[in-house]
Amino acid sequence: MSCSNLTMWVSSSKPSFPDTSSLSSGSFINPFRAPSHNSTVVSPSRSSSVAPIHCGLRELRERIDSVKNTQKITEAMKLVAAAKVRRAQEAVVNGRPFSETLVEVLYNINEQLQTEDIDVPLIKVRPVKKVALVVVTGDRGLCGGFNNYVIKKAERRIAELKGLGVEYTIISVGKKGNSYFIRRPYIPVDRFIEGSTLPTAKEAQAIADDVFSLFVSEEVDKVELLYTKFVSLVKSDPVIHTLLPLSPKGEICDINGNCVDAAEDELFRLSTKEGKLTVERDVVRTETVQFSPILQFEQDPVQILDALLPLYLNSQILRALQESLASELAARMSAMSNASDNANELKKNLSTVYNRQRQAKITGEILEIVAGAEALV
Amino acid sequence: MTLNLCVLTPNRIVWDSEVKEIILSTNSGQIGVLPNHAPIATAVDIGILRIRFNDQWLTMALMGGFARIGNNEITVLVNDAEKSSDIDPQEAQQTLEIAEAGLRKAESKRQTIEANLALRRARTRVEVLNVIS
Repeated sequence: MSCSNLTMWVSSSKPSFPDTSSLSSGSFINPFRAPSHNSTVVSPSRSSSVAPIHCGLRELRERIDSVKNTQKITEAMKLVAAAKVRRAQEAVVNGRPFSETLVEVLYNINEQLQTEDIDVPLIKVRPVKKVALVVVTGDRGLCGGFNNYVIKKAERRIAELKGLGVEYTIISVGKKGNSYFIRRPYIPVDRFIEGSTLPTAKEAQAIADDVFSLFVSEEVDKVELLYTKFVSLVKSDPVIHTLLPLSPKGEICDINGNCVDAAEDELFRLSTKEGKLTVERDVVRTETVQFSPILQFEQDPVQILDALLPLYLNSQILRALQESLASELAARMSAMSNASDNANELKKNLSTVYNRQRQAKITGEILEIVAGAEALV
Repeated sequence: MTLNLCVLTPNRIVWDSEVKEIILSTNSGQIGVLPNHAPIATAVDIGILRIRFNDQWLTMALMGGFARIGNNEITVLVNDAEKSSDIDPQEAQQTLEIAEAGLRKAESKRQTIEANLALRRARTRVEVLNVIS
C-alpha cells in the first residue's frame, strides 16, 4: 500500500497540501507504537492536533478500518485475559486444601523437632559458591513490560552475583526467557523449561526435580526463585525468593532476609465493583491446630521431614508459577485495555480528519461547478 | 466407625470419601489401615495405594509424600496421584522404557539421582496397572 501515490492523487486537486506522506505512512504501519518512540515518529493517536494527518480519502478510510480491526483484536485479547485470570485464580483455590494441610503438618512436626539435632539435605546451609537462579517468565508477548521486568531483574541479580564473585547458573522457565537467554550464550543456562497455559503440579515437579538434584549433588549451594508476585490487577512486582536451603521453620526468606510466614496465605479474588473488574486480596491465616499428643511417627522424624520438604518445595514452585501467570494475564489485560483506548482515540481523530477532508473535497467540487457555470453565463 | 480417606495433590483433591480399608506404601514398607487405627504420621514412598471401597479394591499410584492418620481420618499429601483407571497402559510402558534408557545413560551423580526418580515413578505407574486384586 503506497501512501505517497495516493497523496499525489489528492494533492493534484489540492496543490496547497504539504508533502508529509512519509510521516503518515510511517505511523500507519504501527498505530500502537510505544510512547517512547515518539521522538522520531509522531504518534497519530496523541498528537493529531500538533501534526495533522495528511492522507488521501481512500487511505484514511483504510486506516480507519484497520484501526477498527486492531481494536477488535485487542478488545478480544483483553476479555480472554480477564477470563483466564479467573481460571488462574481457581487453580490457586484448588491448591488450597493441600497447602493448608501441608503448612499445618509442617508446623507441628517442626515443633516436635525443635529439640532434636536434625540433618536433612534440603535444609543444609553450605557456604555459597554457586547459585542457581530460576527465572519465571511468560510464554507470550503483548503484555506490556511484564517479561522485560523479570529479565531486567535477573540481569541485575546476575551482576550482583558477579560482583560478589559467586558463580551462577540459570534455569529458565517460559518461552520469552528461553529465547532471551538463547540469544546470550555467555550466560550459563542449566535448563530451558517451557511453560504451559496453566501451571500444573507436573511442571512444578519438573522444576523441583531439577533444583533438587542440583542442590543435593552439591553443584549449587543456593537456589533462588525469581518470579512476578501478583499484587493487584495493575501492580505486580518481580521478586526473588530463596528456595533452597529450606528453612525448617516452614519459612521462606527473600533476598533481604525478610521472612514470609508460610502460615499466612494470601488469596486473590477477581470480582466486579460497579461494573469494573477489581481484585480483592484476602489474607487467610491458617489455624495451626495442635496434633493429638499420642501421635506416633512411623519413621524417624528426619525421614518424615525428608518426605515433607520436597512437597513444600513443590507447592512453593507451583504457587510461584501460578502467581507469575496471574501477573502476566493481568499485565496483558491492562496492556490490551490501553491499546483499545488508544485505538478508540485514533479512530476518532482519523474520522474527524476524514470527514473534514471529505467536506473540503465536496466544497471544492461545488466551487468548481459554480465557477464553471458562472464562466458559461 | 467409618474411615475417611482424603488424598490431596497440589492442584486438586483426588479422593475424598469413606473407605473400608487402605494399604499404603510407606518408607518402611506397606501398612494396612483399618478403622480405629492408632494415630500415626508417616512418609509415603513412591508406590501403590490400594483402597477397599464398596467391597472393591481400587489402586492408585502415589508419587511420594506424606500421610497422617488419626481419629479415623486419613490425610495423604502427595506430589501427584493417578488412579489406575486414568493411566494409559501403553503410554506408561513407554515412559518406563524411556526412564530405563535414561538411567543407563546417566553419568554424573546428578543425572543418576534424576534418572532414578524418573524410573521409580514410571515403574509404579506400570505396577499399578498390573496389580492382582
